[in-house]
Amino acid sequence: MRKIRILLADDHKLIRSGLRLLVEQQTDLTVVGEANDGREAVSLAKSLKPDVVVMDIGMPNLNGIEAALQITETNPQISVVMLSMHSDESYVLRALKSGAKGYLLKDSAESDLIKAVRSVADGKSFFSPAVSKVLLDDYVRKLKRSGTEDAYDLLTPREREILQLVAEGKSNKDVANLLNLSVYTVETHRSNIMEKLNLRGIPELILFAVRRGIIS
Amino acid sequence: MKAPSPLTAPAPPSSVLDSQSKAHARKVRALLFLSFGWLLALLIGAGTDALLSLRQLDTVERQVSSRFSARSQALSTIVVSVRVYDDQVERFLLQDQLPAPSPAPSDIAKQFAEMRAALRSFPPDQFPEEQLLLTEMQSLLTDQENSVATALSWRPGDRHQRAQQFIGEDLLPWRSRILEISQQISTVDGKRLADENLALALRFQSMEERLVWLVALALFAGILMSLICGWYILRLERQGRQRYQALARSRIELESLSARLVEAQEEERRSISRELHDEVGQSLGALLVEVGQLSKLVPPDDRVTEAQIAHIKSVAESAVKSIRDIALLLRPPMLDDLGLIPALEWQAREISRRSDVEVEVHSQSVSEDLGDETKVTVYRLVQEALNNAATHASAKNAKVTVIQGPDKITVEITDDGNGFDPERKRGMGILGMEERVRRLGGSFAIKSSPGRGATVTAEIPLHPAESPVYQP
Repeated sequence: MRKIRILLADDHKLIRSGLRLLVEQQTDLTVVGEANDGREAVSLAKSLKPDVVVMDIGMPNLNGIEAALQITETNPQISVVMLSMHSDESYVLRALKSGAKGYLLKDSAESDLIKAVRSVADGKSFFSPAVSKVLLDDYVRKLKRSGTEDAYDLLTPREREILQLVAEGKSNKDVANLLNLSVYTVETHRSNIMEKLNLRGIPELILFAVRRGIIS
Repeated sequence: MKAPSPLTAPAPPSSVLDSQSKAHARKVRALLFLSFGWLLALLIGAGTDALLSLRQLDTVERQVSSRFSARSQALSTIVVSVRVYDDQVERFLLQDQLPAPSPAPSDIAKQFAEMRAALRSFPPDQFPEEQLLLTEMQSLLTDQENSVATALSWRPGDRHQRAQQFIGEDLLPWRSRILEISQQISTVDGKRLADENLALALRFQSMEERLVWLVALALFAGILMSLICGWYILRLERQGRQRYQALARSRIELESLSARLVEAQEEERRSISRELHDEVGQSLGALLVEVGQLSKLVPPDDRVTEAQIAHIKSVAESAVKSIRDIALLLRPPMLDDLGLIPALEWQAREISRRSDVEVEVHSQSVSEDLGDETKVTVYRLVQEALNNAATHASAKNAKVTVIQGPDKITVEITDDGNGFDPERKRGMGILGMEERVRRLGGSFAIKSSPGRGATVTAEIPLHPAESPVYQP
């Protein structure tokens, strides 16, 4: 069986060696390289072509967000798992915008890293459970204080179905095939969802899905 | 937690110095008042003296001239009456040889009385020389009255014979003598007039001298006073300028000091935050990973060790959390990782999570490559204003608006809290905000009144003269 090839990028050697220890206990995973900063991560990703890059969000020279953006733009087949200390949506949204598929809190790296790596290698997204909890708490509190309705309740069951599939990374064509709909209908549903939830772009849609626990 | 603010405390006023300078000023004022009063009195004195002296001299001159004219008038009356009398006596004695009618003896007596009256009417304030001459004239008159009385009583025959002789030997010499005496009196009077005029002239001269002296003195005093006053004014002006310069200098020093304080504070925070995050935080993170590994090595039935490891893990986790919180407050990595607006949004949510304030962030065309100093300033400004809104104003809603224009960035933080009077209540936090904004050449304003919320507005130019101090 082909092993999942992993590149570790973190400016702290201690963290890298800890992560490597975790990964190498798994038979189906292997670490192919370690990068000390964002720049090195970009060039190693280019030369090693790993399946997954596990990247610290705050690194010197080039931070993780910029590095992830450069890697996913030139090599879309590489999946990035962002490692962060922050569960705030500013970070999650930036990570999503930079093309990251997974968002892992450092606190829970020890227990979730393997799951995250396998998920993104499989084309799915992964978010630390604590992240969706914080996002949902913020959202609910805001709704309660401003007295507005939860926009999610406005969605039809079909729209919720499509929201989940899109958030999981499926293309319009995939969705159309899965649901036996025309691509045009899927597109219409999608723009209705975006309008009802007041979202701009896929990253915000994924963020919303994470918040509602639709994907993890 | 509230970010500490730079200290810009004003120096306490020195009341001792103040009262000293007040006493000094009082003394100087009294001295000035005295000197000017004295100068004025001198001038008024000189003027009054000159006026009085002139009037006095005028009176004296008038008296002198009136006395002289009275005398000369009296003298001429005497001379005229003597001549008339002489003429009448002559005509009476020569009445046989002259065609004209002769005067009666009674006329002659009357004329004599007139002559005496004229003599008596001479001003009484005579001086010795004059008196002597007048007495002589008096006795001459008396002698003459007797001899004329004799001549008048002659019979016509005698008269015809002796008239010529009497006229030639008695009447004419008498008349000459009388005229001579009156001439002498006139001379004496003239001399006296000259004397008195001289005395007047002398008095006038002395008055003139005194006046000149007084005026010179006043002039000298005036010049002296103006010199002293001028010197004093120049000194005051110089002192004022020096004090102003010193004040301006100390103000500039204070400003640069507080600017350096802000810089040092930010630098210190950044390094402490970095240190905490990089060293302590990462070590703890690694420790957590190791502990996780360790827990897998424990045999499933060893409950004690398992519990021990779980405890170690939870302690390490709470340490990681506190260190992260402290590092975040000191220098939020969001600014470096995400840029200004996401950092502000993070800040807004953080405030919302911790307090009852719901914060909204609106932004318009804010670029991601703002200077680090501008970013930090806006971030700290918002942080301070939101902290105030949450902790002091018990606001329910707050709104942060950041708008970037072509040459400036405008930040506005509005809340619906209790508000305050910005003229009276300026805490260190506000001073710190103002200081930060001013350092970048921006403007800062607070609009608030009790019960009406508060609006903090700042405009920061995008190309400040000074180069950014912090390098990202």
